[in-house]
Amino acid sequence: MARHIKIGLIVLGVGFAIALGFFVDVVGRVQSMMKNERETEENPFKQPTQPLYTPTDPPMNVKLFFPPASGDPLLTAEDATIFQSAEIENRAKQILQKLQEGPHNDVMVPSLPKDAKAQDLFISQEGTAFIDFSNAIATNHPGGVLNELATIYSIVNSLTYNLQEIKEVKILIGGVEKETLAGHCLLLLPLSLDLSITNVKPREEKTASAAVGTTLNR
Amino acid sequence: MTLVAALGAALFIFGGSIQAADVSFPIYFPNSKLIVQADMMNRTVYLPIKEILGHLRLQYTDSVALETLTIHAGSNQLVVTKNSALMSYNGQIILLPSKILREDNRWLAPVEFLTLGISRMTGLDFRYRPGTSRIFAGNVDTPELEMNAQTLGPITRLTLRCSTPINLNLNRENPVKAILDINRTPLDPTRERLEHKDRLLHSVTFDDSDGDSKLVLDITREVTDLRITPADNNRIFFVDFLRTAPTTATPPPPTLEPPAAVATKPDAVAPERRVRVIVIDPGHGGMDTGVKTAAGTEKDLTLALARRLRTGLIMRLGATVLLTRDSDIAMDNEARSAVANNNQANLFISLHLGYSPNKMESASSIFIVNDGLGENVSQVSGTNQLFLPWYLGYRTHRQASAAAATMLQQELIKEIQGWTFSIRTAPLAVLSSATMPSLLVEIGNLNNSVNGQTLADAGFQTRLVNGIVNAVQRFSQSPQPAAN
Repeated sequence: MARHIKIGLIVLGVGFAIALGFFVDVVGRVQSMMKNERETEENPFKQPTQPLYTPTDPPMNVKLFFPPASGDPLLTAEDATIFQSAEIENRAKQILQKLQEGPHNDVMVPSLPKDAKAQDLFISQEGTAFIDFSNAIATNHPGGVLNELATIYSIVNSLTYNLQEIKEVKILIGGVEKETLAGHCLLLLPLSLDLSITNVKPREEKTASAAVGTTLNR
Repeated sequence: MTLVAALGAALFIFGGSIQAADVSFPIYFPNSKLIVQADMMNRTVYLPIKEILGHLRLQYTDSVALETLTIHAGSNQLVVTKNSALMSYNGQIILLPSKILREDNRWLAPVEFLTLGISRMTGLDFRYRPGTSRIFAGNVDTPELEMNAQTLGPITRLTLRCSTPINLNLNRENPVKAILDINRTPLDPTRERLEHKDRLLHSVTFDDSDGDSKLVLDITREVTDLRITPADNNRIFFVDFLRTAPTTATPPPPTLEPPAAVATKPDAVAPERRVRVIVIDPGHGGMDTGVKTAAGTEKDLTLALARRLRTGLIMRLGATVLLTRDSDIAMDNEARSAVANNNQANLFISLHLGYSPNKMESASSIFIVNDGLGENVSQVSGTNQLFLPWYLGYRTHRQASAAAATMLQQELIKEIQGWTFSIRTAPLAVLSSATMPSLLVEIGNLNNSVNGQTLADAGFQTRLVNGIVNAVQRFSQSPQPAAN
């Protein structure tokens, strides 16, 4: 075999070995990334180190806001009961758990997309609740401005209406601040209670009068 | 290795003495201007002292033996020494950031020589912004010039804003270079050079080295036409770079698309018309598909609808109509509202299609930003209300947005009978930064198969477009509420 062919083959062999090494390394990295993502998706929620309530805690009536199956207003309230635990965070977490379960009637539909779960919750001294949701709240969201609005204000209203200590809610997704949930509604700012899109009267003015519609003008 | 070390050593030794070519440096005085040849050395601008002193009629004594230059003005005396950063003003020592040089009978001083030395002698205030190549002296009027460039589908638009009325004269020197002479001198550009680098425009450079303001446009051979459209009493100019002749530049038209319907047709403005520039935002795009069901994909339907609406608005109103995207590309919300803001739009309409978990639902909505969005944050952020957060842009025209929403609701209900269009408020990202009346229209429910087919129907889209055009026409002719 000619000398230059031998040299060529050796160079090709060395090149191939280096390329193979890189390929194996890249495949390994991609696999480890996918594994990490899967782990985050499958088990993103820290198990509460302490229970959210004790059996001796008194019951507390709350209103959970869900979208109606059809028509206005954007959100309607369902009555539910949680335990009045000493920590406000634990009460908020109970409310979020109830929201994740969805409504217990046929005239309302769930407000959170499939697999969307609250991973962490923190309430600042100013009364802003920071809630970190799993990525599923964005990735599994079907879209639509009205639908996105219903998801966001279902969370905001359910917390701020029932827990006076929470003035505003700031939603994080996957541990980070996101501009929007599904491309429409701004999440960069904390949001406060908005009962104009519900059939519930403000607490101070609660009367037996008829429900308020969501629309400004029809 | 040795070679690299030698190269490094050579750079170290000779790098310090590398001298850039001379640059023309205008100094603008209240009633005159002086163009001097400045030297750039070690990133410091050196100005020739004697020429400036001659222009200011200041007496000086150049002592070769003492290597000093003594400047006299009345009883005041300023002394500078060769190769020294210290100068003496009436016996008081002043430190300059760089040494004063003397080369071939030329005294050279850094810019600070003017601001720290000559200012005291003459009482003239000198203003210099590092990175620029001009100095303003005294109370000379220096209107600001801002420039922005954007790629808008088949065209590229350069927007110029000046705080005083100006006139432009275009001169295309060769296929890749054009000069835009500005009849106002001096000007203070907010940036010297604008890099854009798209298929039509590479860069825009402000040049007043000869004392006359001009913009040097570095364009590509693909530019076949350049158009200038003034606005706001010649304070704003849109310079459009067109790739092909206007008759062939139209994107694939829907049924109504006329051959001359270029997105940026300069408007023949009727004097009473208030809405001259309209920006339409087809929701979603690219990887962001929006709602996706068997009935269709939101990003495609909104684009088709936006193109149809553009045609309707151009034909009926003769307005300048721009789309935030004219192809299947992803854009973030801030970029969408920036298209409207940067083009001085009078109306911004974002188009979306709805989704409801209920397959029987078919309601539509017209959204404006909810009142009070972000106000708590802005109050907390400080007392300086001159600079508001970007997302509070909506506040300036919220009343007008509400008025436009009402007109749109009325016209759509009239045009598409049996459909409901509710006006709602929401913290919408795409509208929050828009500094003009702005709306978001969410039409139908793509989860409803009948509704989905209707939305894709050309006849329905035409009726929808008619309703929106009627509303825009009414809004344009109505007395608009003052900015909030």
